[in-house]
Amino acid sequence: MRAVSFTPRFWVALCFIIAVLVVGVIGPMVVKTSPDAVVGGLYDPPEGFGAKMLGTDNQGQSVLANLVFGTRTSLIVGIIAGGIATGIGLIIGLFAGYLGGTVEDVLMGFTNVVLAIPAIVVVILLSVALPSRGVLILGVVIGITSWPWTARAVRAQATSVRTREHIDVARISGASLPSILLRDVLPYLLSYVVMAFVLQMSGAILTEAALSMLGLGPSGVVSLGIMLHWALVWGSVRVGAYWAFLPPTLMLTMIAFSLLLLQSSLDEVFNPRLRRGRSRAARRAPAVNVGALAEGPAVTGIAPDTETAGGRA
Amino acid sequence: MTDPSSSGHGTDSGTSEMNVERWTNSWATNRRRFLALAGAGATGVILGSTVTACGSAAGNKNPGAKTSGAAKGRAGDAGETLFVAGFQWGPPTSFNPYSATPAWPTGGGQSQLIYETLLRWNILDGKLYAGLGKSMSMPDKYTIEVPLQEGTKWADGQDLTADDVVYTFELGKQAALNFSNVWTYLDKVEAKDPRTVAFTLKKNPYNPPTVKGALNSVLILPKHIWSKTSPDKIITVTNMEPVGSGPFKIGKADQTQVHLLRDDNYWGNTAYGKPPMKIVHHQIYKSNSDGDLALESGQVDASQQFTSQIWTMWEDKGKPVGTWLKEKPYYIPGNLPSVIFNLSKKGLDNVKVRKAFAYAINYGDIAKTAMSSYSDDAQASMIVPKGSEEKYFDASAVQANGWEYNPDKAEQILTDELKAKKGSDGIYSLPDGTKLGGWTISCPTGWSDWNTSCEIISKNLKAVGIDVKTNFPQAPTWTTAMQNGNFDLVHNTYTGVGPNSPWARYRDMLDNRGVPKIGKQAFYNYGRFSDSRVPALLDKAAAAANDQESIAAIRELDNIFRETIPVIPVMYRPLEFYEYNESNWTNFPDEKNPYAPPMWQGAGIQWLFKLKRVGS
Repeated sequence: MRAVSFTPRFWVALCFIIAVLVVGVIGPMVVKTSPDAVVGGLYDPPEGFGAKMLGTDNQGQSVLANLVFGTRTSLIVGIIAGGIATGIGLIIGLFAGYLGGTVEDVLMGFTNVVLAIPAIVVVILLSVALPSRGVLILGVVIGITSWPWTARAVRAQATSVRTREHIDVARISGASLPSILLRDVLPYLLSYVVMAFVLQMSGAILTEAALSMLGLGPSGVVSLGIMLHWALVWGSVRVGAYWAFLPPTLMLTMIAFSLLLLQSSLDEVFNPRLRRGRSRAARRAPAVNVGALAEGPAVTGIAPDTETAGGRA
Repeated sequence: MTDPSSSGHGTDSGTSEMNVERWTNSWATNRRRFLALAGAGATGVILGSTVTACGSAAGNKNPGAKTSGAAKGRAGDAGETLFVAGFQWGPPTSFNPYSATPAWPTGGGQSQLIYETLLRWNILDGKLYAGLGKSMSMPDKYTIEVPLQEGTKWADGQDLTADDVVYTFELGKQAALNFSNVWTYLDKVEAKDPRTVAFTLKKNPYNPPTVKGALNSVLILPKHIWSKTSPDKIITVTNMEPVGSGPFKIGKADQTQVHLLRDDNYWGNTAYGKPPMKIVHHQIYKSNSDGDLALESGQVDASQQFTSQIWTMWEDKGKPVGTWLKEKPYYIPGNLPSVIFNLSKKGLDNVKVRKAFAYAINYGDIAKTAMSSYSDDAQASMIVPKGSEEKYFDASAVQANGWEYNPDKAEQILTDELKAKKGSDGIYSLPDGTKLGGWTISCPTGWSDWNTSCEIISKNLKAVGIDVKTNFPQAPTWTTAMQNGNFDLVHNTYTGVGPNSPWARYRDMLDNRGVPKIGKQAFYNYGRFSDSRVPALLDKAAAAANDQESIAAIRELDNIFRETIPVIPVMYRPLEFYEYNESNWTNFPDEKNPYAPPMWQGAGIQWLFKLKRVGS
């Protein structure tokens, strides 16, 4: 990456993400209070420094402890779901795009069918049907319902890569299909896959929050959505306990915003056409496989469907 | 199931595309136009959904609530309507008082707006007042006579006579209804003359309090309508157009509301006067929080909901809201919400395991947070230690043989007495391999106080190595599962204070007589507890000739409860929550104006007739 010049936007996004990671990863190590421990009464206002810094929630638990552990849970769900969704989308997209023909028709037909089903409904039905909802299970459920748009985008890119000469060379030299896919096709898509993963992760975190708000969150742990669920159920807005709903709301906003910002700043890095503020001539010979999108459609981060990233305040 | 659309946002993409397809005739591939259409479509959908969500029978639902001192209530029909909340949580499926899930207002313990009872109990003085019956007399030890009020009649114009009362009570003998157990103590019910009912009590078992309790709780049905149905089918009747004797009729009932219209020919207009409101409207909310906001803003006039930190409404916001007491605990205690064990489940059938549960639960936290300080810490007794039951409470026995929150003691019971071993997941297993986990504790979704209490219990148990997850289904589903014994633990309450408490509470909890096996509907003793000592003691307590005898027997039963732990009381709760907003109706009774009790059921109906329109 030494030859890549990052934009200010990237650095801003990185700062935000580091802040989130500090809360979600370092936080639980620093905050010694258990999120299940009762440290006060019903909605005690914030006071002093320590467990009650952000007040207490409806069960008299520390909002601060819940926030750091909840952020961690949300990040874990995001990584699991984002990884699964990106993985499934990548595999289906690669095969469909590279092989073409009937395989492509079948795979893309299946993808379109899944795409047509509103993901949130499937997620809710699965969550209700499952006897126990751990963090892992929830991540898997969200992951297996949100891959189709990744699959479609990857297929489009793989199709454009398929026609290049180096693929012909690889074929002539007798490389096997997996080897071609992994060594000759995938590298050209990697930048896109990274961006898709970032978007999937932010979508998954918001989906988890939406589910938890409905009371279908992971059991036995706390997440940002579960905090919001209880804040909603106990009318924290009504009684003016802003410390119960504001921290998780801000945290969710920050996670989603910083991931989207990161994605769009990476977009500028990977896609020379989008670079701003520098002369276009300053394109250097990319050291990594960037600029693969110079031909064919410039696929920028496709906004995920509205259920995952849209309109859930 | 939660309706995904209830979370507030339709999905733009799906709906707008559908709408665009409907516009095909004017379709043009013009992005600006497409967006305009899509926007219009989405807006239309959102508007449409809010309109349906608000319910429309009430017409203009603009509360127009002003802050205190408002001299004007709501305009139009809404001003003539009393909006209530907190009784109905799912779609009304039946207005049959004897079905498994009767909808408001035909359920037991709700206001007698459609069906009525003979007598009405008052929580303030513990006495029975007139209902359909004028009075109650006992000419001898085994006879209770109730003459009917003048001119009682049904909403369809037919007279309500002693025959209807006899018919209704007889139904309980012919079919398993929720009051059938009264026939354990009743010999016969006869019409002495067309306007007087005579109840003959059995000499053995002799139980006048329960029979009087039935006079206060059995809703009388019209014989000329119900006798067309064979008694064994009575439970299955949905009765969606009920004909009752009360001051209101069903106007509209769907999944968002139950809407009652005043019956101007109500027989009680002479006895009680005419209700000042034309309409009583129960909006069906998904959860407490929706109803609380509606109460605060004056969209709901009176509510039977747990509203956390209700004092903020008048202390911080100056709203014309009130409860019975202006100070903590704001309500009169009358109930013992408890954890009820299903004693047929392996592991939960072990009394020592249940004892570990009892020590593991943090009663102080539950009172302080889940009950919003409306409760004292629960003690190891099934008696409400304040008010009419105080005389039964045996503080020294509770002290000696009871339990309190002590997680160390809970773990000690598990390891020393039960020889349980902790697994790698931190959950204990009994020596025979039974894992102390995989259970769920359930209560209906949206009951935020009990939901939170379940959460606290679940965390408390996890801390000592017992795994109980929470589960919050829809109320009707939950009720059915509980009655059929299809549960591990439920968070529920047995009979509250009333004309036959605390006796009835011990019957509910301990008596196996009249309780069918798991899989069939039971109306009490959901956990299927049985103990050979109990029946005789219950009968002794009921037939007690004086306070001394009944106190002795009840305390004996309380000892059995502490010894066997079939349920664990976790908090005290009012019999019914009662809070009001005076922005449209005033003259709600409270501690300073106690002309009626803070009740909805029984004698509480008095205040409905005495409310006044603001500015009238």
